[in-house]
Parts: sequence; structure tokens; C-alpha cells
Amino acid sequence: MTALTDFSISIQRRFGRQRLRKFILGLIPFALLIGLWELNTAFVWFDPVEIPPIADVWEAIFWLQSDCPGFMAAVDGHNSCQLSNNILSSIGRVILATVVGVPLGIGFGILAGMNRTISAYLEPIGVFMNSVSGIAWIPLAVVWFGVGWETTLFIMLNTIFWLLFFNTMMGVRAVPKVLVQGVQTLGGSHLDAIRQVYLPGAMPSIITGGRMAMGFGWRALIAAEMIGGDSGLGFMIFVSASEFKTEEVFLGVILISIIFLATDRWILVPLEKWTIERWGLVWKPT
Amino acid sequence: MTGEAKLIVQGLSHHYPDEYTGESVHALDNIDLKIYENEFVAIVGPSGCGKTTFLNIIAGLLPYREGRAMVDGVDIKGPGPDRGVVFQEHAILPWRTVSRNIGHGLELRRTPKAETQRRVQEYVDLVGLSGFEDRYPHELSGGMKQRVAVARTLCADPVIMLMDEPFAAVDAQTRITLQDELNRVVMATEKTILFITHSVEEAAFLGDRCIVFSRRPGRIKSEIKIDIPRAERQWKDMVNNSKFTDARDEILGLVRSEVTSNDDG
Ligand SMILES: Nc1ncnc2c1ncn2[C@@H]1O[C@H](COP(=O)(O)OP(=O)(O)OP(=O)(O)O)[C@@H](O)[C@H]1O
Ligand SMILES: [Mg+2]
Repeated sequence: MTALTDFSISIQRRFGRQRLRKFILGLIPFALLIGLWELNTAFVWFDPVEIPPIADVWEAIFWLQSDCPGFMAAVDGHNSCQLSNNILSSIGRVILATVVGVPLGIGFGILAGMNRTISAYLEPIGVFMNSVSGIAWIPLAVVWFGVGWETTLFIMLNTIFWLLFFNTMMGVRAVPKVLVQGVQTLGGSHLDAIRQVYLPGAMPSIITGGRMAMGFGWRALIAAEMIGGDSGLGFMIFVSASEFKTEEVFLGVILISIIFLATDRWILVPLEKWTIERWGLVWKPT
Repeated sequence: MTGEAKLIVQGLSHHYPDEYTGESVHALDNIDLKIYENEFVAIVGPSGCGKTTFLNIIAGLLPYREGRAMVDGVDIKGPGPDRGVVFQEHAILPWRTVSRNIGHGLELRRTPKAETQRRVQEYVDLVGLSGFEDRYPHELSGGMKQRVAVARTLCADPVIMLMDEPFAAVDAQTRITLQDELNRVVMATEKTILFITHSVEEAAFLGDRCIVFSRRPGRIKSEIKIDIPRAERQWKDMVNNSKFTDARDEILGLVRSEVTSNDDG
């Protein structure tokens, strides 16, 4: 048996036939895009400055990291590890904003969902904040915080918080009252009701909010890094483009999508499987 | 009935405020009722007569101002584990497995794990859900979900179990099975039960006593004793049981007259 069939069998075992088919169909547009890209390299329809060859984009990884003394130095954030530093600083801000913004958004969302007075205060401003695009705050944030990590972090936090707040609030409101009453008549306290009813009951909505927060927040972060940042992948793309180093721009864009996809596949999708799918709270096509 | 009264209701009335008209809806009027230990009391009455209102007040889910309601001599103020409720709709938690739903009351009371497990298994077996312990509610049929709801309430060991049309949402065949099972469970656990239903047959089949409510505002119109030993209450024997058919017909007549007088008024 060849290595390739071995591989395809192992994939089949993991995914099942239907899923494998879907996976392969999904790859086709990417393959076409890469094919066109390669053809462009051969026929030079576009200048390499406009669309650089794939090999150069690949090479960019190494020249951007060429002065980096080694893996540990890269993890450490050594000054000369350009590419890894920019990746780490974007990811670091995503993590920081998530760790702060998600619990805060969920917390206020639960309070507002349970209590009419609190939601009377917070709902209008929530609607307002969510209608203003996250990136619209960038110029103001630069005035407030200057160019640097504070601005980028603020932009992402602001985007994440309101989306989670709003979605959690809606989710909590949709929890059937009888479920709460059930727990109360078993002797549960308010805190028990929050932890055991409102939070899991709002989960479908919270996960939707998380998806939106990741999407909008990550985009807002890249934009903020371009305009108001001094590090990160957005910053790298912006600087490289102004120096006509298109390979680095392409590399940056590809890395951004890969990181984004990875967070979805490895964090949000498993979370969804582990919670709302297991509980039968999502409609599944069969 | 001998023994002590578990539930005492004295002169209980209730008015719902109407937010739009400013008038109030008079839902209950001067209810006096005692339910004794290990007694099964069924309440029937026309739709909208205040049965759910009554049950919600006893459950502590609806604040009341007119009259008194006490469980074990203590005035009812808010919900508590001494009054377990089985709701009509599925009130079990979709994110808990069968056994974690059934053991929920014990968990909230911080009962030791081993003890909880033993009790949960006991009730799983009692309601015939062995083998489904680790299933989630969405994997169960409607009848099985209601079995979980009953077991959840029983397992928390309330002083009185309140049931509001618990079998109204399942199909007729399942309902008969559940009624037979409830009888068996009541016999095994010796619980005190307040049971609300639309179905006259159900009330006559299950109740030691059946209370007929008048149309709104709900008053106690009459009370019928059904003196059939629990062990003899099985649907297959009921058609020939004159005590059952007599009680059923009497209750039916009382309820009918309420519905008709409703049309006149
Ligand atoms: N929250 C409320 N606000 C105002 N009026 C209410 C409210 N809940 C119930 N009512 C009214 O009070 C009366 C009694 O309602 P209740 O739900 O107790 O009746 P029920 O006997 O349980 O009826 P059914 O047999 O249809 O379940 C009805 O006329 C109803 O319209
Ligand atoms: Mg009702």
C-alpha cells in the first residue's frame, strides 16, 4: 500500500465518507487559486511586485526569521525574530482580549438578561455600540492611547465585549422560565440558577456571539495594528506593503487566515460539540 | 384521613393585576383545603378556573396576599425543596443526563456522592429508566422525559409533590401507562401529592380525594372521596370497578354543570 492511500484511509477513518467528500470539494477552489498563482509565476501576467511567486512567499518566512537565534529565542520574543514576534503579539492580544472580554461580556449579559432594570440601563447602549463598527473607534483610540498595544487591545476588547454582552443577554432571555422554576423548587439558589440554568441555556447564543466576536474582533485587531499599532501581523503587512515587499504581505494575509481558522476549528467547534450539540440544542441536518 | 395535615390552606384568594386595563382578574376565591400525609388529592375544574394559580402559590412561585398557605406548619414564602413540582412542559434540564437530572435536588443539597448515586439508581429503577442513565433528554421520548421529571422530584424527597397536568402533553397510550406507573410509585414511596388535571378519568383513577373547582374565580365546589385501595388501582381492572365508574360519573357531572353554567353566564 502506498503512503498516499494509507493517508486517505486514515482520513476516511477519522472523518467518514460524507465528510471526506465535503472536505475534498472544499479544497478544490484553493487548488484552483494556487494553480492560477503558479501560472502567473510562469507567464508573468502580473509583475512579481504585484503578485510574488509562491516560492518567494515561502522564502519570506526564512528571511524574516533569519536573524533569530533559535526556537527558544523566538518563544522568548528575541528582538531579531521579526515574524514570530509579530505573530506572537497578535495572538497574545487576541488571548488577552478574550480572557478579559469574554467573561466580562458574558457576566454583564447574564445580569442584563435576568434583570429588567439592569437591561434598561445597558440594552440601548449595547445596541448603539454593536451598530458602530469596531474599527470606527481606531482614530479616537489613537488619540486616547497613542500608537501601541493599548490602542489595539482596546479596539479588540471593545468589539468582543459588546458582541458577547448582547448575545448572552438575548440567550438568557430565551431560557424557558420553567427550567429556572424547576431548579428553584429543588432548592436551588439564584447562583445555582445562573450556573446551572441561565449559563448553559444561553450557550447556543453565547457560542454565536463568540463566533462573531472572533470574526469581527480579529479583523478589528488587524486594522488597529495597521493604523494604531507598532507590532503584530497587521502592522507587518502595512509596513511591508509600504516598502513594496509583497511576499511579506501575502505571507501575513495567509498567516492571519490560518490562525483564524485554527481558533475556529480547535476552540469554537469543539466547544460547540461538547456543549450544545451534546445537549441537543442545535438543529442538525441529517 | 388520619395523620397530620401536611398542607393547610385557609381563606386563600388571588387577584392578578391587569397591566393594561388596570382592573384585576379574580382567579381564586376563598379556598380552604387540608391535605394529609400520604394522601393523593386531585383537583379538576374548567379551563381557566385558577388551578395553575393555586398550584403556583403552593409551590411558592407566585406571591399571595389574601389568606394563608402552610406546609408542615410553616407559611409558604417562595419556592423550596419541601414542595417538589412536576410541570406540564418538560422542565428537566437538557444539559444534564438522566441521572444528573434525577440527582439534581440531592446535588443542590450537597449530599455525599455515594449516597446520591445510590438514591438516583433507586429512582431510575423505580420509574423504569434503567439503561438510560447517561442519556440526554433530547434522546428520550416524551413519556420518558416525564418519568425523569417525576423521578427528579421524588428523589429530592419533598414533603408534598405538586403536579400540574404532568401527563397532558403525551399521547393517550403513554398517558395510561404513566398513570399506572404513578400509582405504583405512589404506593412504593408513600408520598403526599397534589395533582391537577383536566381529565376526570385521571382524577378518579389516581385520587384518594377529588376536589372540583368552580369556574373562575375558582372556589371549591365539591369534594368526592374515592375509596379504592391503591393496590387495586390498575387500568385493566377499572372498567369493572363500580367505585371508580361512580366517582368518575359524579365528578364528570359536577364539572359539566360548571362548564354549562359558564356558557349561560
Ligand atoms: N399572569 C397572569 N396575569 C393575569 N391573569 C392571569 C395570569 N395567569 C393567569 N391569569 C388568569 O387567571 C385565571 C386562572 O388561570 P390559571 O392558569 O390558574 O387557570 P387553570 O385552571 O390552570 O387553566 P387551565 O386548565 O387552562 O390550565 C385565568 O382567567 C387566566 O386568564
Ligand atoms: Mg393550568
